Amino acid sequence: MEMIIQLLVSGISLGGIYALLSFSFSMVISTTRVLNIAHGVFFIWGAAICAIMVMHLKLHPGIVLPFFIVVFAAIAYLFYIAVVKVLMKKGSHYILSGSILATFGLALAMESLMNTLWVAFIDPTPTFMLQMELPPIEFAGMLIPSNRLAIILLGAVMIIIFHFLLTKTFLGKSARAMAQNLDGFLVLGLNPQRITLFVIVVTTIIIAVSGALYSLVIPLEVYEGLPLTLKALTIIILAGVGSLPGTIAAGVLLGMAEVIGSFYLGSVWAPVISYAILFFVLIVKPSGFFGRVSI
Amino acid sequence: MKLNQLIRWFIPIILILLGLPYFLSPYMLMVCYLSFIWLVLAANFDILDGFMGYIHLAQGVYFGVGAYVATLLLGMPYIQSLGMLSIPVVTLAAVIGAGIVGFFIALLIFRLKGLYFAVTTLVLIFLLQIIILNLSQITGGSYGAFVPNQFYISTFNAYYLALILAVISIGINYHLSNSKIGLAFQSIREDEGAAASIGLKVARVKRVAYVLSTLPSAAAGVVFALNSGFIDPNIALGVERSLIPPIMAMLGGSGHFLGPVVGMIIIRFIDVLFYSYVTLPVSSMLLFGVVLMLVALFIPEGLLRAPFVKRIRQRFSKKNDEAS
Repeated sequence: MEMIIQLLVSGISLGGIYALLSFSFSMVISTTRVLNIAHGVFFIWGAAICAIMVMHLKLHPGIVLPFFIVVFAAIAYLFYIAVVKVLMKKGSHYILSGSILATFGLALAMESLMNTLWVAFIDPTPTFMLQMELPPIEFAGMLIPSNRLAIILLGAVMIIIFHFLLTKTFLGKSARAMAQNLDGFLVLGLNPQRITLFVIVVTTIIIAVSGALYSLVIPLEVYEGLPLTLKALTIIILAGVGSLPGTIAAGVLLGMAEVIGSFYLGSVWAPVISYAILFFVLIVKPSGFFGRVSI
Repeated sequence: MKLNQLIRWFIPIILILLGLPYFLSPYMLMVCYLSFIWLVLAANFDILDGFMGYIHLAQGVYFGVGAYVATLLLGMPYIQSLGMLSIPVVTLAAVIGAGIVGFFIALLIFRLKGLYFAVTTLVLIFLLQIIILNLSQITGGSYGAFVPNQFYISTFNAYYLALILAVISIGINYHLSNSKIGLAFQSIREDEGAAASIGLKVARVKRVAYVLSTLPSAAAGVVFALNSGFIDPNIALGVERSLIPPIMAMLGGSGHFLGPVVGMIIIRFIDVLFYSYVTLPVSSMLLFGVVLMLVALFIPEGLLRAPFVKRIRQRFSKKNDEAS
């Protein structure tokens, strides 16, 4: 029984992170048509910069969060100016190959930059982890790891904030309009550049924070960025683009499958599970289970 | 380019390349041989990207499949007892094996288009890496696999084998830009629906293109494995093995049969320059990432079609006309 509860808690916490990772991914795709392969690398950078601030600079957690958000808003602004804006000026023919190759190059450059800097200044073996030992909570005679519970709680808060941003604020509503119908959006006289900047900044901050959360329980390595992007893509193919409930369900499903699979098969085969799910979905229902893939 | 004009350029270049190994230092010979291996991969990538419009980011997978099939077969006593025949047998087996793998992958992967296709192909690299790392009883896992000593090919011979493969690959691409099947590929790139409506069997043509793009890559993998004598998942299946060919093809201009050649020369020049003559404080991946980004953002149509190169070529051809 205790085992089942623990597996459930780890599966749901992992799934919550995956849902945040992949929903922000699908927001960027559906509004800008730019497929950002460096998505997973932003996640790693979130964990790394959080680890620098908390573990090595020993900042107070109250200062870390606003500072962290400012840093990633700046990174997202640079990303928008240098890559997304240039790509969106091109026709639809080049946005496809251009966005894949440009962000792939960005991902490689960011990965090796982080690796070089980390090896030079901090540690010859770069792993990013927040070591915060919270005591496990005892519930009905069972021990539940409280790091995981904290992730579930914070993940739920972030999903609610994200949902609120998208459904209640003007910018969020315009972003959804842009995703649904670009021509109609332009007819209304809205500014696509401002909305794109808003989407890029918000999603980058959300990915970075979820990366920092993830590093509370699982140590991350530098070159895990691309596999994480692939995981987000698996979830989007499973869920369909642009459906928040679908993405949460698919994320939790993938998280549970990975936790249970690595428990029974051994952790070396855990990454294969998501790839197997991806190919299974491609065979059975290429358009996704919860929405429609329209790109 | 007209055929007779092509032959006028082609024959001297081939003669120079054939004589080159007698004059080069061992290091430069190695560089040239590896350049041809890269050229094979880049040209094969271009079959799918340049002619059919599908961005396939896992060309290195078939290189790895070829290398691993050959190495593992050469480890078997029965194959070893064939003597000199075993190398052609193993090469054939590797090429056919890669073709079969490619056929089944093509069945699955062409359900996707555009962005999804490109990123899903990336999955193939990681999937094969994990499989090879974890089936360590067969493949040797992260310790790698060795080719028996008697099958070693010297770099001198490998140079010629790689040259033959490169010429074949460029020949395929030249044929595609001038033939019916190439026209079928290009019509799929322009509009799949229209191509299907004039009676083209789109699914079958795509599978043919995919399998065609795997075969020379697998043969290149065999040559590479026999020359290096040792392969492991990092050497044969690293991400850069699949990543650098797209950079080469796109830098040169994908869809033009000379695009991969131009891109390969530039990228290899940068690579060798920074690897052996100028030391950088950062890894070469950073440089490649930045080059890839700049190419994709500012010359997405490739050097051969970039406006400034076009202007130079026009001026050049005008001068030729005046002279004649």
